Amino acid sequence: MTIEVKDIKKSYDGRTVLDNFNLNIEEEHSYIITGPSGCGKTTLLRLILGLEKPDEGTVKLLGDYKYPYINSGTVFQEDRLCEDADAVTNVTMVSRKVFKETVTQELLQLLSEDAIHKPVKELSGGQRRRVAIVRACAIPSDILIMDEPFTGLDDESREKCIEYIRHKQGSGALVLTTHDTRGLEFGRVIQMV
Amino acid sequence: MSFITGYDWEKNLVKKVLRKVIPVIAWLLIWQLVAFMIHNKILLAGPLETLNALISLSQTSDFWESIAVSSTRILLGFFIGSVLGIAAAYLAYTNEVARDFLKPFVVTLKSVPVASFVILLLIWFGNRNISVIICAMVVFPILYLSTLEGFLCTDVKMLEMAQVFRMPRLRTVRYIFLPQLKPFFQSAFKLAIGMSFKSGIAAEVIGQPLHTMGNGLYLAKVYLETGELFAWTIVIVLISFICEKILALAIGRAK
Repeated sequence: MTIEVKDIKKSYDGRTVLDNFNLNIEEEHSYIITGPSGCGKTTLLRLILGLEKPDEGTVKLLGDYKYPYINSGTVFQEDRLCEDADAVTNVTMVSRKVFKETVTQELLQLLSEDAIHKPVKELSGGQRRRVAIVRACAIPSDILIMDEPFTGLDDESREKCIEYIRHKQGSGALVLTTHDTRGLEFGRVIQMV
Repeated sequence: MSFITGYDWEKNLVKKVLRKVIPVIAWLLIWQLVAFMIHNKILLAGPLETLNALISLSQTSDFWESIAVSSTRILLGFFIGSVLGIAAAYLAYTNEVARDFLKPFVVTLKSVPVASFVILLLIWFGNRNISVIICAMVVFPILYLSTLEGFLCTDVKMLEMAQVFRMPRLRTVRYIFLPQLKPFFQSAFKLAIGMSFKSGIAAEVIGQPLHTMGNGLYLAKVYLETGELFAWTIVIVLISFICEKILALAIGRAK
């Protein structure tokens, strides 16, 4: 599967965020998108996910792909979790293809036993972020799309999360936005301005 | 650090109960006093006469039959109105054309007096199921407007999350829509159940279907039995109150 982002242009209220942006996202490759706030990192991910339409240009799925849409595991800029549900429920609810036992094992790789059974509203910012990362990685997908996934994580948790994401990426693609590229040297860094 | 002992807890409970009971007793005394001063059972029956009337009514089978028939019809109307109101709200949420189409209908239902509908429905359908139709018509706009507002307030970011993950539809409803709709349902159902009994009984008073609470009220008026009138009123208020509490409990427990 290849996602072709071609000649993309996107503006908000007359302010151009992306202008003639091009990128080919291929399987097994990692793309680390970095740049100052407001340079269009989140917009680019939203365009790839189909949540927004470009003013000009196209986002296309090339090749013989089994779905008409991008089958992605996604971490949003915000956690977007169901506050009253626990971590296990937050992960299992998004797909019929994941089961409680498997999800519990996945969550335990990044969180303590105690944390995964509490309503997520009682968790710290870092713990919630890790739940969002597991949710993206635990479901079967062909691409991981992550918008600032390490926000609120200390260095140790960040390293663990990077290791976890790398392991879960498998043969799929990874597109990740960040301000801090430490530990992400395995990917192709794309600097946006 | 402070501790609440068993004794304090009991004291608080007694205080809470007294704060609710004393005003009721006070109002009953005022009622009795005014009735005593007026000294005319037709103009104003006192609480004792009302109690007597209630006791004698409760010894007739017609009383219980009327309660059963009216409550069943009113609750059936409430159920039909609720289901239709929620379904229409979902349709209006997903389709703006449907929302625009339904708007004049809902505004009309909301603003036309119940009595006008009752008379019209009496001409069209007769008096047998008048309270069912009237209740459904009164409940429909309440549930429709509240549910639609709840849908429109749903967190767009959570809906995007559901869309991106291709979250199953029923789970989206359970985990994203229902928690958002719950407070809207709570206030709408509370208002709707009270309005159902008020409008349903009003319809029965006008339409006079036999063996109903509305008919009981009407007969009490015709025979100038103010005690019976008050007794029926108390029964209606009590049933409405019980239904409201059961409903609140059911919604409160629903996750």
